Amino acid sequence: MTRSVRTLAGIAVVALILGACAGGGPPGGGATQAPAAAAKPTYGGSIVFALEDDPIDFDPLRSRAFIDRNVHYQIYDSLVRIDETGKIIPWLAEKWDTSADGKTVTFTLRTDVKYHDGTAFDAASVKWNIDRYRTAQGSARSGELAPVESVTAVDPATVRFNLKTPFSPLLSLLVDRAGMMVSQKAAEAGGADFTRKAFKAGTGPFILTEAVKDDHITLEKNLDSWGKDKDGNKLPFLDKITIKPIRSSDVRFTNVRTGDAHVANNIAGKDIPTARAESGLTYQEKPAYSFRSLIPNRAKGFVFEDARNVRAVSMAIDRKELLEKGYFNLGVAGYGTIAPNHFAFDANFKPFEKPDVDGAKKLVAEVGKGPLKFQLLISSGDPVTLQIAQLIQAQLKKADITVDIQQLEFAQILDQQSKKTFKDMSFVGWSGRVDPDGNTYDHIYSARPFNDSSYSNKDVDRLLDEQRATSDQEKRKTALRAAEKIYVQDDPARVWLGHGAAQLLTVKKVNAPPVYPDQIVRFQFMSMPK
Amino acid sequence: MGTYILRRLVLMIPVAFLVTVIVFTLVRLTPGDPVLTYAGEERDPATLDELRREYGLDQPLPVQYVSWITHALRGDLGRSLRTRQPVTEAIVERLPATLQLGLTALAISVTIGVLVGTLSALHRNSPLDLLATGFTLAGVSLPNFFLGLILILVFSLAWRFLPPGGYTALTSDPLDNLEHLILPAITLATASLAVNMRQVRSSLLEVLSQEYMRTARAKGLRERVLVVRHAMKNALIPVVTIVGLQVGAIIEGAVITEQIFFWPGVGKLVVDSIAGRDYPVVQGVVMLSAFSFMLATLVVDVLYGVLDPRISYSRKSS
Repeated sequence: MTRSVRTLAGIAVVALILGACAGGGPPGGGATQAPAAAAKPTYGGSIVFALEDDPIDFDPLRSRAFIDRNVHYQIYDSLVRIDETGKIIPWLAEKWDTSADGKTVTFTLRTDVKYHDGTAFDAASVKWNIDRYRTAQGSARSGELAPVESVTAVDPATVRFNLKTPFSPLLSLLVDRAGMMVSQKAAEAGGADFTRKAFKAGTGPFILTEAVKDDHITLEKNLDSWGKDKDGNKLPFLDKITIKPIRSSDVRFTNVRTGDAHVANNIAGKDIPTARAESGLTYQEKPAYSFRSLIPNRAKGFVFEDARNVRAVSMAIDRKELLEKGYFNLGVAGYGTIAPNHFAFDANFKPFEKPDVDGAKKLVAEVGKGPLKFQLLISSGDPVTLQIAQLIQAQLKKADITVDIQQLEFAQILDQQSKKTFKDMSFVGWSGRVDPDGNTYDHIYSARPFNDSSYSNKDVDRLLDEQRATSDQEKRKTALRAAEKIYVQDDPARVWLGHGAAQLLTVKKVNAPPVYPDQIVRFQFMSMPK
Repeated sequence: MGTYILRRLVLMIPVAFLVTVIVFTLVRLTPGDPVLTYAGEERDPATLDELRREYGLDQPLPVQYVSWITHALRGDLGRSLRTRQPVTEAIVERLPATLQLGLTALAISVTIGVLVGTLSALHRNSPLDLLATGFTLAGVSLPNFFLGLILILVFSLAWRFLPPGGYTALTSDPLDNLEHLILPAITLATASLAVNMRQVRSSLLEVLSQEYMRTARAKGLRERVLVVRHAMKNALIPVVTIVGLQVGAIIEGAVITEQIFFWPGVGKLVVDSIAGRDYPVVQGVVMLSAFSFMLATLVVDVLYGVLDPRISYSRKSS
């Protein structure tokens, strides 16, 4: 096992070196923006999508892996969706209305929608889906939908969500898996195998027709799709999508370069200059909702129980250098949980913009327990993570902070994190959510599931509750910003390093849709001129 | 012979039982929580508890074991915790790839091993012998994860001759399948080839120095008959043992090679499953691997009797 992990690391290193050598491709278009979509898109064509892993659960109910969503978004529709700027837009629900007390949300549904298996989509179907997500065994959605007390089908086109307390992030959750609509007939017929074989189960632009584990997934055009683009053209354009799981980023990139695949949305930082330069490719990128963070164990008796130690680490880190050398400029430097495409983002909030080595030294001296020395836990078998950890180690050295890098299998890190037994700090990212609440509440609020640093701050808890209770965006923003200042600067919960990027690499002959901050490709807007 | 095989098969039952207990306990001793690993970013404690209940992981270990073993006896190895795929289906799906790779590598290592080993024993200290001995040393010393990388570097990246990894089913495109097979098969074959070659050489040398060989030679037997009929038959007994164990090890032998070349076989399945703490799948693969090992040793023992008539398993003759 160790051997094979080392093997993988070895391959990755070799690949990295080779990739770096091959970097200087011919200078070309260097396009970062998608070409303007042609006025009359062509119908037909079949494309290959190189995905970084094999999706696990096609059933949104069970789905836990980020990767699954790449398939979900093609075969299912949600009640609402986001546009490419992150704004929530009507989807299966044409409009919605939140009551004055914030405790009921009423959705008006589209009436021209049918599931792939021919059954009708209506309010009863929404109720069945939401009840299933809330109560079915093995549901990964029950936590997200916990604020929902009940769902009422008022009439076939109207459905009402009754909430236990006002809960402003509800819509943002209905954008994703908790709001995806599945055919009751298909789910019941599929039984225990449904999550592996969710054939003809959604209302989305494509129909899942074949899924061979670790090999390929076939999606075929939904001829009865209700979707239209902004020019009124019927969606989708493509006839077929073949999804191939290719775990090695080098192989993935090579496949798109050689034209064996047409689309990929996860490209290693080192390959981006080549992707931009090569004339046969179109590369797009924008900041994603994800964040990168070091998680200190702030529980009693650990080094980072003292907030000043966390702050000292945060001060001594040079995020700009980390982004350039560690992440190959992929993503942006950042300081907290709120990402550039979140409504509550403040571009002027840069508490640790420049490293402050002396300030960090002073803080450690103030703690008065001698030089700061700690263990940094990273996932083994990933050379890029190791390089970044080593860069952090070198940066902190300048402030006389000694970092001892420990590599551990990811499963073991998760275990130690959830039991809060990890010694000092661990290095684990977060894939990001549409609403800043999804990036913050469960990570920061006392005793919430992702609060791996055992952080607890009464003021932060109060502010986070406040922003959940009001649907006034400005008020939410004020509360979220006030909270972020505390958990980043005054009493830091973690050391944030920055935000990741949403990427979309396509071959030139494909008319690519814009890239979305949730990193998911919108294939229904994609076309391939002959 | 028949009763002997039957007796051996019956004796396998307690061994198999012991294996199930060990496998079951060992995978659970590995630090890490399958539910937590599978849950990934959805770590709501309520959801985690519910998953544990669904998978029966909240039950005491003995209860879990009895439930697993009673199902396994009926041929149901359970479902993967991660993908919900039945374990038997997951293994059967990947078995052809592993068997193809393992058997090809074995065929390479046995044919070349016996051939070159014999030649170098007959022509001791000749240039061929020195070359073969040198290769043996290198083959045994080179770990296959390193050899695999070197092969990829040379044949895939520098010369663009063969694909660096991947797999196409033999049934869908035989030529493409062969192209993908060459590098991993060489990688996997090298270490066992070196062992086989060395074993053939040394045991043949030993037999050749026996007195009955001198007698045979003295009575004027032709060299070819001497080597093939008299020497080889006796020299092959230790080789059969080693090759037999190699056959038994096909299932787990390719774990590393499959990782390097993205070969979607059982080895890759078990590595992914260990990383994900997918207990049922790990248990299933290890069981399969243990059984194939036990069967291989049985076949080896039976072959002893065929190769050397002095070895007999029936009680009468002993």
